[in-house]
Amino acid sequence: MRRTWWALVLALMVGAMAFVPGARAATQPVSGGTLVYGAGADPDSLDPANTDSNTGEAFGHMMNNYLVKFDAKVKIHPDLATSWTQSKDGLTWTFKLRKGVKFHDGTPFNAEAVKYNFDRFLGPEKPLKSGLHDVIIKSVDVVDEYTVRFNLKAPFAFFLNNLAHSATGIVSPAAHKKWGKDLTLHPVGTGPFKFVEWIRGDHVTLVRNDDYYEGKARLEKIIVKTVREDSARVLGLEAGDYDLIVRIPPEEVPRLMREGKVRIDAEQSNRTLRIGFNMTKKPFDDLRVRQALNYAVDKESIVKNIYQGLGAVVPDVVGPLNIGYAPIKGYGYDPAKAKKLLADAGFPNGFKTTLWTPKGRYLKDFELSQAVQQQLAAVGVDAKLETFEWGAYMALTRKPRDEAKQEMYLIGWAPSTGEARWGIYPIMSCDQWAPTGSNSGFYCNKEMDQMIAKSVAATNMKERDGFLQKAQEILVQDAASIYLLATKETVGMSLKLHDIINSPLELVYADKDTWKEK
Amino acid sequence: MIAYILRRLLMLVPVLFGVVLVSFSLLHLVPGDPAQIMAGEVATAQDIARIRAEYGLDKPLVVQFGHFVWNAARGDFGISIQSRHPIKELLFQRLTFTLQLSLASILVASTIGLLAGMISSTRQYSVFDTASMLGALFGISMPIFWLGILLILVFAVKLHWLPSGGTGSLRYLVLPAIALGSASAAVIARMTRASMLEVARQDYIRTARATGYAERVVIFRHALKNAMIPVLTVFGLEFGYMLGGAVLTETVFSLPGIGRLLVEGIFMRDYPVVQGAMMVVGTTFVLVNLLTDVAYAFFDPRIRYD
Repeated sequence: MRRTWWALVLALMVGAMAFVPGARAATQPVSGGTLVYGAGADPDSLDPANTDSNTGEAFGHMMNNYLVKFDAKVKIHPDLATSWTQSKDGLTWTFKLRKGVKFHDGTPFNAEAVKYNFDRFLGPEKPLKSGLHDVIIKSVDVVDEYTVRFNLKAPFAFFLNNLAHSATGIVSPAAHKKWGKDLTLHPVGTGPFKFVEWIRGDHVTLVRNDDYYEGKARLEKIIVKTVREDSARVLGLEAGDYDLIVRIPPEEVPRLMREGKVRIDAEQSNRTLRIGFNMTKKPFDDLRVRQALNYAVDKESIVKNIYQGLGAVVPDVVGPLNIGYAPIKGYGYDPAKAKKLLADAGFPNGFKTTLWTPKGRYLKDFELSQAVQQQLAAVGVDAKLETFEWGAYMALTRKPRDEAKQEMYLIGWAPSTGEARWGIYPIMSCDQWAPTGSNSGFYCNKEMDQMIAKSVAATNMKERDGFLQKAQEILVQDAASIYLLATKETVGMSLKLHDIINSPLELVYADKDTWKEK
Repeated sequence: MIAYILRRLLMLVPVLFGVVLVSFSLLHLVPGDPAQIMAGEVATAQDIARIRAEYGLDKPLVVQFGHFVWNAARGDFGISIQSRHPIKELLFQRLTFTLQLSLASILVASTIGLLAGMISSTRQYSVFDTASMLGALFGISMPIFWLGILLILVFAVKLHWLPSGGTGSLRYLVLPAIALGSASAAVIARMTRASMLEVARQDYIRTARATGYAERVVIFRHALKNAMIPVLTVFGLEFGYMLGGAVLTETVFSLPGIGRLLVEGIFMRDYPVVQGAMMVVGTTFVLVNLLTDVAYAFFDPRIRYD
């Protein structure tokens, strides 16, 4: 009898809860409201072709569309192009375009507009990101008002990834003709939100684009505030001043999750961190030494203790969410093996070296370098830590071979096209040695380069991924760096905010479906 | 007096030239290249060369410096290498904001500082004196960063009375003004107390008292006015410091002031921004010092500038 009585009370309580208005609101999207977003930095540019910052690219995704777009798992989907075909020789790509799309200034989107945008990359203006396209595309033809054809210089297996890249946001030709390079201060796209104002160092305001092709966005307005200081962002979120913040320091995450007053979302990013070796300097020209240093570092413990679990150990330089990532075996933690390899290489008592590190450029970069320093010390390698501010760091690590002073250096890389080839080529191939490219360790293996070249020319995706896997295996064999980890992008948001995009490309933004409870 | 002021204003020209020359040289001495920072990690040597050419960074340093000085003399500060914002517009926005913050902070600092200092000096060794001087010691020693975070934690996160940072109505200025003003309040309090105690021992104060003036009159009309001279010096210096050096406060409270513009400009090696901001900071410092000197003459009519 008693059990029946309790069951009845419980049933009544559950029934009553279903009618609490708040309980329903959380599952039923509503329109309206302003999103106040605390970003870690000002955008560098609001012109997609000229931005090289996460904040700038995130704005691009709110204001622009692309021919094809990435989803949250970096898979390609149609956007302004509805369908496409590739010629058999891989040299020509033809795209059917969406009809009835308008730029924020009222001008129509069509094949002419697409051609205009790509001619900008190929022509004399040379926007910052022109390298993404001008080495690949020969010309762009307007077939008819809603069909456009790309003629490539050589087959390029990652062409769609380049089209989905943040830099390829399609901007209004009329606006570009009017403003030229100052388009950054007057951006005009086709996206769900329109530009209102940019007060540098303070905020950027966007409003809903009522003519958006996929229908009106739910949010009415977005104010992105520049909040540089990590703790100030966290406090502002807790105070209710911001609905969304990026880059929460890992040590704050356990407390915020325990208190449950805000929601934490940690997504794997495709940025990997590694300790580069200057291969032109002894003893880093010795494979045994490089392997030994890889065995000497306990990456699992670093992820657990420094990143509070918000990261993943990687076997090489490619992060797990990239197309072409190969889950091969990397170097485990084995200090005994490290000592033996060092002894074999003629360093039974270790050696002295320097480890350069930025401070504040990457998540927990300095702490990471300190941990590596301590673990290397345990196998007898005495690495002196040297810290530089980012501007100086970039200048010093991009010197040509005969001027380069780095021995070991912490560096990160995030392929913004979401594929392994761009995760490897600029930082590891022979023709990308600094200062030409970003290969600051002067690593060179012709076989690896060949694999990358073959992956580019492949028209069969399975074949392409096979070449990429081989390239990654070579990188592991050669121990071209101490491969460490891929970070997670940890964002915090108000419990009332829903459906924010936290992309592996380290981009956090609102789209048309993002909504906020009243 | 007018001639003196004009002479001091004329001195601004060599001072500013010096400021720009020193900041230009220092910026070019440290490693780092604005074109490289702007182009980012993916940039090739060609990209960097293109940007250098576009902003004239490939020209000899003397030419770059001459170019900046010549344009600045005509009121053209150029555009930011990083964001293409016109620098004049940036400086104007930031200066307006910094002035608001500095005025609010100096108001906090002088109200608390003068009051505490005066009361302490008239009640030397009392409980109030000990407490306020301890408070002043606390105010001077407390890092602004820590105090700022503490204020946000209490008044924004826990009590929800005030915003945690950013810009907007006057409410947004309250916490930053307290954070920035507290150290100055402490300095002013200690200075006022010391100066008042010094003046109180002078003969004319004894005479004033002997004449039978009320203690209030003695303190306010006779002692305070004379005790103000050293306090004014501190006041001027603190205000000048607030105008140029409030970068920590601006960072904790996410305020777009001139200090942060300067520091971020340095990190990005945005040379025109740094030089423009240095000129503004230099000018405000000189002007505040001039105002302080003029104020001396008001408080002490014996001081004359010819």
